[in-house]
This record gives sequence, C-alpha cells and structure tokens, in this order.
Amino acid sequence: MVSKPTDSASKPRTQPGESANDAIGTLSFKINQLKKQIQAERVVYIKEKIQRNGKKLQCHMSGVMSAISTRGSSQTEGNRKIPILSSRIDHPLCKFNGFSSVSGDKDHNNQDALSATSIKIPCIERLPPYTSWIFLDRNQRMAEDQSVVGRRRIYYDQHGSEALICSDSEEELTEPEEEKHEFSEAEDRVLWMAFEEYGLNDEVLNIVSEFVGGTSLEIQERYKSIKEKNIGRLDQPSENSGQSESTIGICPEKSLSAALDSFDNLFCRRCLIFDCRLHGCSQPLIYPSEKQTVWSDPEGDRKPCSDQCYLQVKVVKCLSEDSNSCGAEQNKRTTIMEETDGVLASSIIEEPSNQSSLPFPSDVDCHGSLNLNVPILVSVEKRKVTDQSDTTHCDPKLPPDDSQNSCKKLKTISDDVVTVNSDSRKDINLCARDVLDKAVKHNSDKLIESSSTFHSDEPDKSIGDGPKDPTNKTEFKKLSNSMEGKVDGMISLSDWKPLEKELYLKGVEMFGRNSCLIARNLLSGLKTCMEVASYMHSGGVSMPHGSIIASSSIMEDKGKFDVECTDQEIPSRSRLLRKRGKTRKFKYSWKSAGHPSIWKRIADGKNQSCKQYTPCGFVQKAAKIGLEDAIVPRVNAEVDNAHALLQDGNVTQMSVGIAGCGDGSLGEPPRRGEGQCGNMRLLLRQQQRILLAKSDVAGWGAFLKNPVNKNDYLGEYTGELISHREADKRGKIYDRANSSFLFDLNDQASISHHLHFLLSCLAYVLDAYRKGDKLKFANHSSNPNCYAKVMLVAGDHRVGIFAKEHIDASEELFYDYRYGPDQAPPWARKPEGSKRDESTAPQGRAKKHQSH
Amino acid sequence: MGGETGKSFGLGCDPVVGSLSSSRKREYRVTNRLQEGKRPLYAIVFNFIDSRYFNVFATVGGNRVTVYQCLEGGVIAVLQSYVDEDKDESFYTVSWACNVDGIPYAVAGGINGVIRVIDAGNEKIHKSFVGHGDSVNEIRTQTLKPSLVISASKDESVRLWNVHTGICILIFAGAGGHRNEVLSVDFHPSDIYRIASCGMDNTVKIWSMKEFWTYVEKSFTWTDLPSKFPTKYVQFPVYNASVHLNYVDCNRWLGDFILSKSVDNEIVLWEPKVKEQTPGEGVVDILQKYPVPECDIWFIKFSCDFHFNMVAVGNREGKIFIWELQSSPPVLIARLSHPQSKSPIRQTATSFDGSTILSCCEDGTIWRWDDVTN
Repeated sequence: MVSKPTDSASKPRTQPGESANDAIGTLSFKINQLKKQIQAERVVYIKEKIQRNGKKLQCHMSGVMSAISTRGSSQTEGNRKIPILSSRIDHPLCKFNGFSSVSGDKDHNNQDALSATSIKIPCIERLPPYTSWIFLDRNQRMAEDQSVVGRRRIYYDQHGSEALICSDSEEELTEPEEEKHEFSEAEDRVLWMAFEEYGLNDEVLNIVSEFVGGTSLEIQERYKSIKEKNIGRLDQPSENSGQSESTIGICPEKSLSAALDSFDNLFCRRCLIFDCRLHGCSQPLIYPSEKQTVWSDPEGDRKPCSDQCYLQVKVVKCLSEDSNSCGAEQNKRTTIMEETDGVLASSIIEEPSNQSSLPFPSDVDCHGSLNLNVPILVSVEKRKVTDQSDTTHCDPKLPPDDSQNSCKKLKTISDDVVTVNSDSRKDINLCARDVLDKAVKHNSDKLIESSSTFHSDEPDKSIGDGPKDPTNKTEFKKLSNSMEGKVDGMISLSDWKPLEKELYLKGVEMFGRNSCLIARNLLSGLKTCMEVASYMHSGGVSMPHGSIIASSSIMEDKGKFDVECTDQEIPSRSRLLRKRGKTRKFKYSWKSAGHPSIWKRIADGKNQSCKQYTPCGFVQKAAKIGLEDAIVPRVNAEVDNAHALLQDGNVTQMSVGIAGCGDGSLGEPPRRGEGQCGNMRLLLRQQQRILLAKSDVAGWGAFLKNPVNKNDYLGEYTGELISHREADKRGKIYDRANSSFLFDLNDQASISHHLHFLLSCLAYVLDAYRKGDKLKFANHSSNPNCYAKVMLVAGDHRVGIFAKEHIDASEELFYDYRYGPDQAPPWARKPEGSKRDESTAPQGRAKKHQSH
Repeated sequence: MGGETGKSFGLGCDPVVGSLSSSRKREYRVTNRLQEGKRPLYAIVFNFIDSRYFNVFATVGGNRVTVYQCLEGGVIAVLQSYVDEDKDESFYTVSWACNVDGIPYAVAGGINGVIRVIDAGNEKIHKSFVGHGDSVNEIRTQTLKPSLVISASKDESVRLWNVHTGICILIFAGAGGHRNEVLSVDFHPSDIYRIASCGMDNTVKIWSMKEFWTYVEKSFTWTDLPSKFPTKYVQFPVYNASVHLNYVDCNRWLGDFILSKSVDNEIVLWEPKVKEQTPGEGVVDILQKYPVPECDIWFIKFSCDFHFNMVAVGNREGKIFIWELQSSPPVLIARLSHPQSKSPIRQTATSFDGSTILSCCEDGTIWRWDDVTN
C-alpha cells in the first residue's frame, strides 16, 4: 500500500546526525524487503488472476460441451442422414496399427496405398496475388502510425528460409529517443517509501535508482507527482461536488466558438467532410467562404412568423411611413441580400459583401445598394478569382483601364495583402463619401486564397453606370427606428447569453436582418422573433463587431449595409440560380482550381499561416473582367511568408494544370468534349468506369468499360500521401517483398506496387500499395495507352490518368511508369549492389525452416 | 532459459516463468507413427465441435487433406482422403466446422489462397472460397457457431466466412489492420464477437465484430448469390499491441487472456488491457511464460485440450513440450522425445481430454503419443 499522504508530515525523518552509512544500509535493506514483498504479491496476484480466469473458462466450456454433444442428435432428427464420416468410422479406408508398447522403432506405416481411394478436389484457378487494400476516392495523408520509418521489419526469403531484417542503416536502427520511463505501481511504492522515510536527497536517490527504472530526474518528478496526487486525494471529494451540473446539452454560457469547437477542429472546409484524412484536423480556422445567400423575402411580403413576430408590431406602426421605400424595395425584387455585419473581432478583415454561396460565374454583376443613411448606391461588381493553388497570395494590381478619379486610392499596391484589403476597404468608404450622390460601381476583383490567411479584395472602380435611386434606402433603417420605441424595454439585453448573442450574429450572417428566420432557425426555444428583432434594433449588438473601423465612421448603422441586387443583374443571376449545378461547373472551370467560392476571413488569434497549404511562388494569370472584358494584367503573386519551397519544375507542372482550362474564356462554360479541362474532371470526379480483372499480361489489370478518346480523363490515381523519406523506406520494403517472391515477379507486381507519383511540389509521394483505387492495378508498358499527369485541383495536387490515344471498351490500360532521371527516388534506381549488404540481421531473424 | 520478449519488466510487473524440470505428472509414449507422404505436414487438428468425432482428426500437407481416427491401442484409421487436383497447392491449415444441420466439414487453405470447404459428411467438396489475395495461413472455427470460420492470410487480411452459405461476411483489414502476413487467428471462447490475430508485423490485434453482427446473422439467411453479399471491412482493431519483437506465429485465447508465441523459445500468457486514454493502443500485462527450447523458427503452432488445461507445442528438433496451462507457476507436464523424431514439428493436436498428443512434422510424418500414466 502506498503510505497515506498524512504520513509525509508526521513521519520522522532520518536524523541528520545519524551516520550516512547506516541510513543507506537500512534503506537498501528496506527496499530489498519491499521488493521481495512486491514480487511475492505479484505471484499471488497472477495466481489469483489465472484461477479466476480459469474458473470462468471452465464454466463456459461446460456450456459449449453440451452444445457439442447435442450436435449429432439434432442432425439425425432433422436430416435423418448419417454423415458418411460416421459410417467411415465403422468402415475405415485402412488402419495402421500402433507400435507394440515396447518396440516402437521398427515398423513404419506407409500411406501410399491411399492415393487410389482419394477424393479429388477439382482445380480452382487462384487469384493473382494482391495485398488487401482499401479503396480511396481521395488521397489521404499517411497516418502517423503507418510510418515504416524507424521500424524494424523482418523479411524472409521463401526459398532460402532466411529472414532478413529490413532496416537500411545503423542510423535508423538506433531508437530516435529514449522512451520516457513509465513507473509501475511497485516502483511508485518503492520510491514513495524511500523518500518518505529517508528524505529526498542524492544518496537516497542513488539507491532508489538502482531498484527503480528511469533517470534520477524522472524519479524526483515522479515522487512529486505522487505526493501531489496523494494530497489531492484528500481534497478530491469537495472538488467533485461543484462540477457535475451543466454539461447537459448546450451550455448557453459558453461561447459559440466553444460550442462549435469540434466543428471548427474536425471539419475540413476544403473537402467539406469531418475528419478529413487529407488535410487533417485542427486546420487553421477558415470561415466558410460561402456566405449563404442571404434569405431575404422582400420584407413587405413577409407574413408574421408567429404571434411573437415583430412584424405584428411593425405592420401597424410602419405601414404608412415605410410604404415608399417598401415599394421601391419590392420593385427591386431583391433576390440576394448580403449582410456584412462585422461578425469577427476587430482584427478581422471583413469582406465587403460577397453575394452568395453559389459559385457564380465571375461575370455576374452584383449591384448592391449600400444601406447608408446617406442615400448612396454602390454597385459592386465583383469577380472572384479563385486562385489556382489556393495558396497564392496575390497582390492585387489594378487593371490599367481604371480611370475613375474617385478611386485613385485604390491603386495603391502593397505587398501586404492584408493592408491592401483594409486599405481598399477604407477607400471604398472614402469614395462613397466623395461621390455621395453619384453612383459608384465597383468592380471588385477578388482573389481568393485558400490559405486562409487573407483574402484580397480588389475593388476596381468603374464608376457610375447604375442610376441610383436615393430613395433606395432599405427599410430596415426605418423599421428599426419605428420599432425601437415599441419593443424597447420589453426585453432587457442582458438576458442574452453569450451563446445566444453569437447565434444571433450567425443568424444575421445567414439570413440578413430577418428576425423571423433567425429566431426560427437558430434561436428556437431560446428567443422569440420579437426578442430577436428588438435585440437587433437595439443597436448594441453589432458594436463589438465593428470590425471595419473606417466604415463605422461613415455608416451610421454600425457598419452594416445591405447589398441588394438591382434589376440589371437579375436576369443573369436568376438564370444561374436555376441551373445551379451547371454554374458550379462553369465556375470551377474558368479557373482551373480553387475551391468552390471560398473566400475567407481570418479569425483573430488563429494561426495566420496555414501549414498545409503550400503557397506557390509565381502564378501568372490572365483574366478577363466580366462586363468590360478588360484584361487584368497578370496577377503576380509573391508570398512573403511562403514557407514551402517550390521547385521550378513544379510551377511548370502547375501551370500546365492551370492552362488548358479557363484561359481566355473566363466565365464562359467550357465547351464540352473539346479542350480537356482536366482538373475540373478530377474535381467533379467525372471519371470513366474502370474494371478490375485479370490482366492479359500479368497479374491484375485495369480495364476500361467504355471507349474513350485521346486525352480523355480516365480517373484519379489515389493513394496515401507520404513523405520522401517514408517513400524511400517503403520502396525498399516493397522491393524486398517482391524479391522474396521471384516467381511472382511480373510487371504487375513490380509496377503497381511501386507506382508512386511524385507530388514533389508538396514534397509528397503518392503510395497506392495499401490504399488506392483500381487504377493502381494498371500495368506498365513501354508502349502505353495512358499517361499520368499531376494536376492542381482545389489546392491539392492530384494525379489524373488520361488516355494517350483512343481506347476501346474493355481494353486494358497501361501506363509507362518511368521515372524521370532525377525524379526517381533512390530505391527506384535499381540499387543492384545494395541489396546484399542490408541483409545483416543483427537480431532475432526468424526462419520458417531449419537451416541445414 | 526462454528468450527475451524484448521488454524489461519493471518492478512488480515480471511474469511467472515456468521451470523446465519436468514434473512427470503424466507419462506419454509413442504409440504410432505414420508417414503420410513426402511433403511437409503443416496442420493437424482434432474435431472439437462434434462430440461424435472427438477422436477424429484431420491433417493437411501438400495438396492433400486426410481425415483419420484415433482408435484404441495406438491404431490410427484412415477415414477419408482428399487431393487437390492442383499439384502446386500446398495446404497450410485445416479446421473442423459444420453446417447448421451438423454435417461435419473440414475447411482447409494454403498457398493458393483458396479456402476449400470439404463436406466430410458426403465426401465431396462443398464450396471453395476465392477471395484472399494470397496464401491462407490459418483457419479457425467458432465453437459456438461452427458455421463461422475465420481465416488469416498473407494478403494482410483476416476474413470471416459462413461455410454454410459460402459468404464472406467481414474483412478485418485496412487502416488499422496488419502490416504484413497474418499468421494466426482465434475466436474468443465465450465472447462471440471477439477475435485475436497476429502475424509478421509482430503485433497481436483484437478485433470486435459487435457492430457488424447483423451482417453475420444476415449471412445465415442469405439466399442470393454469395458474391452479392454486402461484405464489410472492419478497419480498426479494438486492441493492438506489440507483445513480441518478431513474427507472432500462433495465438490462442485462454479465457480473457491470450497465449501467443513468437520465435523466442517460449509461449507467453498475457492479459490485454486497453488504455483508457488511447483506445486501440493496448497495454500488455505478461503473466506467465512457458519456455519451449529450440523453438525459434516460425510457423510452429501449439494446441490445447478442450478444457484448456494443457498446451502442447513441438519444436525445431522434433520434441514436444506439454505445459499445464492454468497452474501458477506453470508446470511442465511432460517432455516428449523420440530418437527418430528429429524433424520440426509444425503443429500438435491435443485430444479432448489431453490423453493423446499428435504431431505433424516437416518430414511428412504423424506421431501419436498416448498417456500411459495409468
């Protein structure tokens, strides 16, 4: 037993005067005694355990026994047929007499006569060998525990029965670091006893460390922690009492971010799945770019959502007052409204009004009206440029043709996108002020980066085609004015719990200032529509979120403004809305990569740089701007904080991926069938049906179900993404495994297992050995009918397999899997000589057969 | 004495090691010896799932499956003999099973990876399971539901089959699966959902099919083509531990404990404990060790009697060690040796009550030892 914590205080320590030797002598003795005791206890413990286990087992086996003995009887009842095996017992094929009890050595029973009476088992063709593999429809990052690096792996050579340990160098054999010693219960007891009775000093420590594992430092720490634990044990009961409440359901006191913790950490915003195996969890928080299309039934159409609806109030009060603006509003048939209340903390850059979650083609104009108290209409034409790599940080450069004086300031070019962004934001506001009663149209070109660290918003400035209607204020303002008096005081704001507040803000983001929807969808059961409305209009809400400092001075309404769509754009937009699916494709295609309409905001405090994205250095793009067809000069992006090194070759590769789709035809649907837009197909998984069957050549093969034309995309080659170091190691292992089975060695074995694609940009290698798809079974040929291409898709590098020529249905697929001279990992370079010397097996080689 | 399991045991964690001095509790004598053929015999197994056939056993070697019966006085009768027409087949394992009517089946597998379900009740092949991508190293039967067999394969997977309907129900492989050949597998004696598997990746894994049990039940009533059955992957074991530092070539449940063997001249009895913080990653508490000298090549499998009172294991030199399993410290019941038995013993078979020990050897011989204590 561990001594009680109270002992520590009361136990008399060794007298300082006592001779050190004596003390140590007794200590060793005591420890030895304790050790013996511990060992004896252990023996008893094991014995008891085994006995208990044995009893349980015995009890169980008797149950099994009864089942076994009834087996025959149930059978004879049910079937009436006596198994031949039973009748054979009476009439065996033959009998071999045993040895006489004395002389066993003489006779030798031989069974050769039997073959005549053998029953034939008809041949069945065996499958070509394969190792169990998992189907992947997308690449996965290798899980830590799958690494073979630093792990000893033993091979045997089936012919020679020789086991080989596959670890290439001494360096790898040495364990990376000494494992931390884990103290057993018994060790705890020893050191507790020793230190409690003899005090914590070096001599005692020395003796203790003879008996107990771990370094002396570890021992000391352990002692401390035991002490704390023991002390803690006393206090525990009182602590427990306080905690048990709450934790049921959502705790309204918690902030929304806490409530959303698992969502934030486990949800992959690039793949839109939880627990993404490619990008991992705890990704730097990227807010979903898709600002949902703000639900906005035209206010006037709305029916009260319930008797608690604020519209009930409004209807009476505002009818006359608002009729004008309501009418105007209805004319506009606002379909999309964007609320850009600053939701994020002040350091966050708020994107001004992104219209919708839908990936709209970039050439759609969005004319929004700013909901300022100064009547002004700012039509913002936005274009989103989805960056190819998802990682490029782009400095917006303004198109050369922008001529508007009002927006001079926008021309500022800065390396720092963040500042650009905020600057431009200010600029907008300034512009707005400048041109108070002028229509300002912004063509804002958005460069979207998935890197999450910033987005750049490039307002460029074609001014003033939109006739603006000064009466076009939103009704909200007025409504709020009119309502405030009414609802004020009904509910005190302090009733709003943090979670509710944040839910409300989310609601505003999603639904605009539509209290009905907010209350119903986000705060149901918590707040009524009326409460939401009053909260909304009480103003305080958005205060803390006035992230846009500059704007707040201008826009009285706490920096809120609604962007509404004007008539002009409605035709195109609604058409697009109708064909949602199509537009999605268009959207993707005009720039070859980019996650669907992602633009992001940065959460403050969150990691500013995103490790898993590898920003690429220079990506050049030519883009046309929507209406004007203006050519945006190349956007030259340079990343200050790019931490990934890119090789030139990769950039080329990427450019290849980038080119071929989208260029010159921004916003236009790619013509189907011609001009392969390869990575679009990858993104959309528009792949050919691949069949797995026995190869005509060797082993397994991949076959095509339907005929394809030259350069058609066949499918993605998926696998585990592993590091080069890992790849080297695995390569050796695969080689080894194959070389052990020379009789199996064929193209399939040597190729498909080794079909790594180098995604060197990302410093990754793709390994499809255990995880992949059917394309990994395609065989090698020097005269192939397919080729592989690394493409950048939505920021991830992927390998697409394309037809090199026309391929007929049910033809087998081959690629030439040749490494470029410098691309090949070392193991692929046929290390003829090296194989031998690795076979030195330091320990524990296992053999299946006896060595002769 | 026994080889090291690689772990140094902390104070108070050391196992109880059996002493190799024989207690001579029982005395065994060779009563028969049979030369079955020229090819190595890899498996020998008594029928423990049907009390009518407790003295019936099967062997496999080369392309041959043979069914024998142990009779009084050391007599061995040949009951049935099956030969695969594929001469290159080399069976590695055999297990007894039966259909829902109790018709006895012998289920064998080997280098071809095809599992042969032989209907010993009708002396014909019942079904052949094609699916494993490589050699089948071991097949075991669920005693509580003897239509369920489980197979361990070189293709790194373990598969659960229903021999009655011919369905592959589950595949235990994938993200958390074995990373090299699976050499051995065993059903938990009482917990019908559990299996343990081990192999060349030096790990022992415990799998649970609890969540997939509906598929197991479904497999009994499946009337469509077996290939249309929605076979499921079980990708993650509930427990994973490195008990040994080398190939683990045999594991068996002993109640809730596990007996396993590597090439370290010993059988180890240990308790799998799951760490609370990190489910899946297991802690091993090694309780006892049963030394087996000269047992350092892999693919040597041990056997227990029906009640798990004893374990018999052969070694590289043709000797057999019989340990009392459930005594602490372990007692060596007997050490069997014969001047002519020199070939590695691939597997032993212990009869229902332990009174007969059979061994099958690399040189194609079958040895029968009978308890002559009385």
